[in-house]
Amino acid sequence: MEAVTRTEGDGLAGPGRGSEQALYHLPEKPLVVIEPHKSWVALNLRDLWLYRETFYFLVWRDIKVRYKQTVFGVAWAIIQPLFLMLAFAFFFGQLVRVSSDGAPYPIWVYVGILPWTFFSNALANSGNSLIGNSNLITKVYFPRLIIPSAAIAAGLLDFAIAFALLLGFIPFYGLGLSRSVLMLPPLVLLVTFLALAVGIWTSALNARYRDVRHALPFVIQLWMFATPIIYPLSIVPPEYRWVIALNPLTGIVEGFRSALFGWPFNWGALAFSAAITLFLFVFFIYVFRRMESSFADVI
Amino acid sequence: MRPIIKVENLSKRYRIGTGAAHRGALRYTTLRESLSRMASAPFKKLSRGGRAPEETIWALRDVTFDIMPSEVVGIIGANGSGKSTLLKVLSRITEPTTGRVELYGRVASLLEVGTGFHPDLTGKENIYLNGAVLGMKRREIARKFDEIVAFAEIDKFLDTSVKYYSSGMYVRLAFAVAAHLDPDILIVDEVLAVGDASFQKKCLGKMDDVTKSGRTVLFVSHAMEMIAQLCERTILMKDGRINKAGPSREVIDYYIGLYNRG
Repeated sequence: MEAVTRTEGDGLAGPGRGSEQALYHLPEKPLVVIEPHKSWVALNLRDLWLYRETFYFLVWRDIKVRYKQTVFGVAWAIIQPLFLMLAFAFFFGQLVRVSSDGAPYPIWVYVGILPWTFFSNALANSGNSLIGNSNLITKVYFPRLIIPSAAIAAGLLDFAIAFALLLGFIPFYGLGLSRSVLMLPPLVLLVTFLALAVGIWTSALNARYRDVRHALPFVIQLWMFATPIIYPLSIVPPEYRWVIALNPLTGIVEGFRSALFGWPFNWGALAFSAAITLFLFVFFIYVFRRMESSFADVI
Repeated sequence: MRPIIKVENLSKRYRIGTGAAHRGALRYTTLRESLSRMASAPFKKLSRGGRAPEETIWALRDVTFDIMPSEVVGIIGANGSGKSTLLKVLSRITEPTTGRVELYGRVASLLEVGTGFHPDLTGKENIYLNGAVLGMKRREIARKFDEIVAFAEIDKFLDTSVKYYSSGMYVRLAFAVAAHLDPDILIVDEVLAVGDASFQKKCLGKMDDVTKSGRTVLFVSHAMEMIAQLCERTILMKDGRINKAGPSREVIDYYIGLYNRG
């Protein structure tokens, strides 16, 4: 690296050319040692930091490419949740008359759709990210964790845009914001980490087992029904509520609603979601690191 | 004088599936297979030898060599002799099965031109993306940007998506980015034969400059003339082992002799 000094264009080309060799001051320790991995693999934060620009460019690429050659461009970030909201408001709000805990159903369901759209897109994009970038994996080195993480980070922009639309709804429905909105940043962080955990794991599994590609859309669909997005947790009979509560997204979605409508937080559910997220995050990164060394061989 | 690359007893084993063996493809497991293997594992000890042992192939076997700073070394050998696997291990793309490599400098590897190019992005955007993927810093790319564009001769099409480029323009741009990498160690796999005759000459000239600038270069190629011209030392690979290493002319003559005799 910096320790290697080099004079430009001096014509030195190889050993046996005498004194020019003294220009080289190799580092005492190797910059990189390549060995078969040990059974325990550390996260290697130093490497992740070294390759931060690669992460930045992959996020930038994913954002740039997503809306290239589209007529509506970035408006898609709004169209998707908006039309879901209209459909849900009509079918579940108007026809089935699902309870929304007293809030106007359309905005209530939109608040649930927001984190859900981010989470489900993040999962779908990151789950397929390693396969989609197989040309990179087989040709250049960088920490592979960057790939699924970049796919998720790129989704945060859409999340922000869809969120801006929500702010437009608030005066329309005559809602006052309370201090509870201060909980929004930690909630966004929590859902991002949950998406990272599950997305990283899914991407690694998908590289090895292509079954994941078929299962993923369907699992995402089922997961939506297991999360109180179109219905409130309060209409679930108490004896079944624990099933829904096992889903770490439940606490998060309910948390978003509490934050925006100023309702009391269910701290127990939130703490549970945070604990599950932390556990999954650590465990799935460990799994990913274990599988990482074989990606180039199996993808 | 210490080496900048130290390779010790490097071996790499690949598992090849029985069905996929003839295609040379790697076996990839389905979840169902893994699950059934997991379920049957406890019984396997009872029925010993019930299943055929897994077929494996040693793509690299006990490869040991040192490379000194600013040496330019060619690697030659027939298809399947382990050249590309060696470069992949040195580039950290795949892990060795045994052995050890020590690298005392920053490595950039060029196993293909245009790695990471995205067809929907413009020429300009792809220069940044490709540069970043190859390990350049944003500032470094910005500094060399004009040089890259001039080398690729595509200045009129900078803001056009590369999917509309002719294949010649595409490889010129891709090579131009790669040619402006500035690592201590450059690893190159058969990527120089791109573009038309005049551009190839330009590429070769550029590679000549690179090798003379004191950089350590490892070169895989089937173009013997180019190896003879650029490298003073050459390693001949055969069946995953080093068959012969020494001055380029000598090794190349030996290699050509092997085939003429047969």
